[in-house]
Amino acid sequence: MVTQYDHLDEIRSECQSLQEEEYQVLESIFPDFISYDEPGRTLRIEVPIELDNAQEVSIVNEADDSDHPPQCLTLATLPPLLLHIALPVNYPLEVPPNILSIHATHSWLPRLGLRSALIRLWSLGQPVLYDWIELIRTGAFLNDIKVIELIRTGAFLNDIKVTSSNHIRIPHPMPHLLAALLKNHDHSMKQENFLLTPYSCSICLAQYKGAKCAKLMCGHVFCRSCLLDFWGLCITEGDVDRVGCPDPECVKEGHKAMEEDVARIVSESDLVRWRWLREKQALERDPNVIHCPVECCQTPVPKPPTAEGDESGWTRLRTCQKCSFSFCSFCKRTWHGPITTCPISITETFVLEYMALLPGSPEREKFEKRYGKVMLSRLVAKYEEDQLNKKWLDASTMACPGCSVNVEKSLGCNHMTCAKCKQHFCYRCGTKLNPSNPYSHFSISGQRCFNKLFDFMQGEDDGWQPIEGFEFL
Amino acid sequence: MDARLRRVNKEIADCKNDKTSNIRIELIDESPFHLKGSFPGPQGTPYEGGNFEVDIVIPESYPFQPVKMKFITKVYHPNVSSASGAICLDILKDAWSPVLTLKSTLISLQSLLCSPEPNDPQDAEVAKHYTTSKSSFEETAVYWTQIYAGGPGAKKSKESASASVARDEVAMAGLDHAHVRRFVGLGFEQGKVIDVLRRLNYRGKNIHNIPDDKVVEELLKP
Repeated sequence: MVTQYDHLDEIRSECQSLQEEEYQVLESIFPDFISYDEPGRTLRIEVPIELDNAQEVSIVNEADDSDHPPQCLTLATLPPLLLHIALPVNYPLEVPPNILSIHATHSWLPRLGLRSALIRLWSLGQPVLYDWIELIRTGAFLNDIKVIELIRTGAFLNDIKVTSSNHIRIPHPMPHLLAALLKNHDHSMKQENFLLTPYSCSICLAQYKGAKCAKLMCGHVFCRSCLLDFWGLCITEGDVDRVGCPDPECVKEGHKAMEEDVARIVSESDLVRWRWLREKQALERDPNVIHCPVECCQTPVPKPPTAEGDESGWTRLRTCQKCSFSFCSFCKRTWHGPITTCPISITETFVLEYMALLPGSPEREKFEKRYGKVMLSRLVAKYEEDQLNKKWLDASTMACPGCSVNVEKSLGCNHMTCAKCKQHFCYRCGTKLNPSNPYSHFSISGQRCFNKLFDFMQGEDDGWQPIEGFEFL
Repeated sequence: MDARLRRVNKEIADCKNDKTSNIRIELIDESPFHLKGSFPGPQGTPYEGGNFEVDIVIPESYPFQPVKMKFITKVYHPNVSSASGAICLDILKDAWSPVLTLKSTLISLQSLLCSPEPNDPQDAEVAKHYTTSKSSFEETAVYWTQIYAGGPGAKKSKESASASVARDEVAMAGLDHAHVRRFVGLGFEQGKVIDVLRRLNYRGKNIHNIPDDKVVEELLKP
């Protein structure tokens, strides 16, 4: 009897020293995971789960309830497991640790054989806690308890397409609730990790903790102060194209910054200006956009989609969405209807500009996009015709000084009476004549048109002088 | 101390400590924003053996705006102006990134010497020479490296250098002595002949495209 007690004492003291040794080792390796309850000889081990790579996780309702569709997400971490363990006096020589409870944060872990998987890991006489922690930390236990399924890539699992072969499948009655919790946890773990990791900013060449840095969408990390300086300068100078990741590769590929990135770096006013610059740039790229002619408005007005393909006068109509001003896109004046031509011959300016451009040049195409090709060719034809008309009018007619109508004299004397407004005028110089005595303009010596009641083109009707003859009669 | 000064100081210190890259950055005067960089010509190129100096001006908003660099040493290269040393390199313009440093930019210049881009030339005449006859271009580039960058064979005595001034200029322009002599023989001044032949790219296969009449016509222009 005595020897048996001695033997037990021996085992107990050996176990105690083994347990102390094990605890010290664990504490030095995982200082944050483990805490010891001395009086009750119980241990609390809280193990966060860090998967090797981000893995696909699907959360399914086993009851196949259509109200709770399965959720699929990609995670690199899972919420920690809390093990509450009692170490028997004869652990590890004779018995495994006694698992009092296993609790998963957010209760995400299905109640499946983790406990027995852990016990199986213990072999007689060997301390096992390190192996347990590693089994949980790396997520390898998920294999043992059949939460990880090896599925052929591309297969469908509860209507979700599987793209990686290691698939974690968690049964849960409320998939969408758990999905949100797991996602949040994963995000905050990443965030925490980022904040504590030191990064070297390749702009100011200094090292900062992640808390002072920003990781851009492309994955490059810079210190916030440098990004603020860089983007702030670009935004101030209106160089919106350069607001992007400063990494040379990203610069060469012309990667622009995403709005989320810009929003968390620059000031509110710079963000507003950045948005405005981008909008302006996008609109300026579109040749169809015309700025509202109201001076205090200037809002860009795009071509209405209905105008596409339409070549009638209605295509000239634009209505500003901000101030509701309706105007003609050609002359930028108040809308004058689809038929009336522009009150001021504004078209002439841009038709000339258009004709000066080489056919097929990008500028010419821009014009054609803005005003319509058919419309332009019609305008060009009209312009050319107008030019010929004008030439002819200048050469062969005189405008009535009363109503500006052009009058062509086919024959007769230079005293004209306008058929439209009855104004009397001199066809030679356009002066208004007194209707009671229109001929004094031609008969008083010293007047501009003295003796010029009749004049003929050089060589025309030579020798035929009916006037003189008429006078003689 | 502002961020620009802090960064430039770091860059200069970093370059001093780096013995492997062979890139050197020195102050020209008191200002840390006007510097002189230098690097050896890359091996296996006509610039091998030369030491190339670069004028560096650091702008107000560095590193967010590109550093201004031009060659102090004369370089015969399609992307470097043979007259001013101005450099045509994308990272000195729109492909600049604030991550690039003086050292990395100088290394880029060094590799520009290895890989000329005649389709995007800074010096059109040199680029034409390069595309007409690469071997003739390389001879001239080697010659310039000797004369200006202290390349191999540059250590000539003063008298022999001055005695061969005329020959130097023909080689420097990348022209054939026989061609120059032929037009000088017609009674034209050598300087003018060199100038015209260089402008016309009178080299390699290209000489068949240029009739003598054309050359004479150019020579007769005041």
